[in-house]
Amino acid sequence: MDILRMEHIKKSFDGLEVLKDISLSVKEGEVLAIIGPSGSGKSTIMRCAVMLETIDGGEIEYVGGKAAWTDDAGVVHYADNASLKEIRRDYGMVFQNFHLFPHYSVLKNVMDAPIRVQKRDRAEVEKEARVLLDKMGLADKADAYPYQLSGGQQQRVSIARALAMNPKILFFDEPTSALDPELTGDILRVIKDLAAEHMTMVIVTHEMNFARNVADHIIFMEHGVIVSEGTPEEVFDAGNARLQEFLGRYEAD
Amino acid sequence: MSTAMILEQLAGGMVKSISIFCWTLLFSLPLGLLIAFGRMSKVKIFGRFRIVRGITKLYIDVMRGTPLMLQLMVVFYGPFYLWGANIGGFRYVAIILAFSINYAAYFAEIYRSGIESMPKGQYEAAEVLGYTKTQTFLHIILPQVIKRVLPAITNEMVTLVKDTSLAFSLAYMEMFTIAKQIAAKETTFVPFVVAAIFYFIFNWLVSAGMTKVEEKLNYYR
Amino acid sequence: MKKKIMAAVLVTVMAASVLTGCGSKGGDKTFTVGFDAEYPPYGYMDDNGEYTGFDLELAEKVCEMEGWTLEKKPIDWNSKDMELESGAIDCIWNGFTVDGREDDYTWSQPYVDNSQVIVVAEDSGISTLADLAGKTVGVQAASAALTLLQEDQAELAGTFAGLQEFADYNSAFVELQAGSVDAVAMDVGVANYQIKTRGEGYTILPEVLNSEKYAVGFKKGNTELCDIVDADLTKLAEDGTIAELAEKYDIADLICIGK
Repeated sequence: MDILRMEHIKKSFDGLEVLKDISLSVKEGEVLAIIGPSGSGKSTIMRCAVMLETIDGGEIEYVGGKAAWTDDAGVVHYADNASLKEIRRDYGMVFQNFHLFPHYSVLKNVMDAPIRVQKRDRAEVEKEARVLLDKMGLADKADAYPYQLSGGQQQRVSIARALAMNPKILFFDEPTSALDPELTGDILRVIKDLAAEHMTMVIVTHEMNFARNVADHIIFMEHGVIVSEGTPEEVFDAGNARLQEFLGRYEAD
Repeated sequence: MSTAMILEQLAGGMVKSISIFCWTLLFSLPLGLLIAFGRMSKVKIFGRFRIVRGITKLYIDVMRGTPLMLQLMVVFYGPFYLWGANIGGFRYVAIILAFSINYAAYFAEIYRSGIESMPKGQYEAAEVLGYTKTQTFLHIILPQVIKRVLPAITNEMVTLVKDTSLAFSLAYMEMFTIAKQIAAKETTFVPFVVAAIFYFIFNWLVSAGMTKVEEKLNYYR
Repeated sequence: MKKKIMAAVLVTVMAASVLTGCGSKGGDKTFTVGFDAEYPPYGYMDDNGEYTGFDLELAEKVCEMEGWTLEKKPIDWNSKDMELESGAIDCIWNGFTVDGREDDYTWSQPYVDNSQVIVVAEDSGISTLADLAGKTVGVQAASAALTLLQEDQAELAGTFAGLQEFADYNSAFVELQAGSVDAVAMDVGVANYQIKTRGEGYTILPEVLNSEKYAVGFKKGNTELCDIVDADLTKLAEDGTIAELAEKYDIADLICIGK
């Protein structure tokens, strides 16, 4: 079953086309990694998926319903607010720069949305939140504030915050790029654990080895188009010249 | 006039100064937020002109660009000259009104600077988590904005304490007006010195209180 | 707890201010007299913090005769016309000079024969108006003395080094003492009060700038109210009340009503 399906997505910024007809789908329990050089459009496709950007053409459909579509005249329509609200419950997102709420404690960062947005029972949410924090190795940081945590710890809180909403699919936008190299391991391990639990995930990343290890499916993008896609073996071993050049440059960095 | 009587008279005036101060804050702090929203509004007419933004910008420019003393006079005497209204019992209301609309303009710009300094990521994180726009503003953005603008707000409050003395131009019996009258009667400047000490104490209390609030909000960075 | 007390205090202060704002209504008719509370001996704050003065007591007598409630409304002198025109006050009664303003208000009969005089330091060596040539003279802003020096006595003023306007008499006398002005022009009644309160060191030049009258000023056209007050003033002059009050405020030689 597809959790997410995006068809023929187009997006321009100020006349510059950054997504040219991108289509992808994510099955339940699947891990999709999107790689590619800066400016390839890999973050933009993710931001379109979570509706932080509006699309200029194409179709977005989650398991809970159609979010956006294009009519015969080429005009994009988004679902009404009530439907979008339902659809938003399907996904969660982890940002490159965490974007934790600095005025909330770690525990409140995790608990606030389930209580305020999903109107769930506080006691039950707190129980779940503590389990999540424990899983992230942050049980003792529940009462700390974000500024007191390292970047890696903050990112783990933001993963817990996203998971607390019980999403069907979780997006990661370069989750380790803002971290010191020695802290990236923690985050990658957490994502690996989630993959082992069959969490459906889409990860935009620079970590090639990680992508190869954890992903079921890989998309390599450049200049707003998908250059190559398939299983890690298919993509990395296919001998695609552009990809090899990119990987070579990446490893040389 | 005995020293005790001078103190008593000035203390009575101070109560009135404090009342101007309190009422002005009560109205101008929320009004300022409303104006700040208008100032950042994206509403357009004819698909081009940002009408709300333009109007609030003009409002702020006028309020900041003309003397408060003149605004006091316009607000008090204006209704009579425009509509022949009876303004007999209107003096105090006019003072509070004039102070409130003037300070709201300054507060609006302070709020705006605070709101615009908030990182976009806070809005995006809240949006993806499903917060409504109102929830995002009230629970995520506003608390952080308050912390950011507090020092600037304190500045305005201290200025407001001193500006209450401008009510003398409408002959409202606040502390400065009374100090002037006692000074005329006693033919000395002593009442002004006493008034200065009163203003200083008043302001010291205000900034001490605001420092307390700032410390309270220092639990996060 | 501390917060609650603070809140209670604030609420009380704010409530009190509202109540005092609206609570001054009583009696059938309120007669609102606008005056400059910085103008002793005609209108000022007394030792008990109450507004008093020759003019205010006289207004009180009129109210007693008419059964009105007197409201003493201190005003900012610069805003006196707006206060009167807008109806915030019924009249200006406060050493209010008629001369030069004859057509601007509806006037009662004059009751004080005032003159504008020059006050100098005793040791200044100035003893005539001619001695003021090349000197700096202080005068209150928006006062009758200023109008006089700009109009009827403009020629004399032309001999001065300059006219220095000031906001109140305290500033004027400090400047006089400090030597930044050489003389100050003012009403004789005010001059007497200032010199009496300040003690030795000042003197009034024997030559006066002019002679002028004080009367009660009503809004132009308000003859109805003016006539009532005018008639009462005549009665108060006849029964000696005015003379008695003038004695009390040390301005007996200035009274012109009933003479």
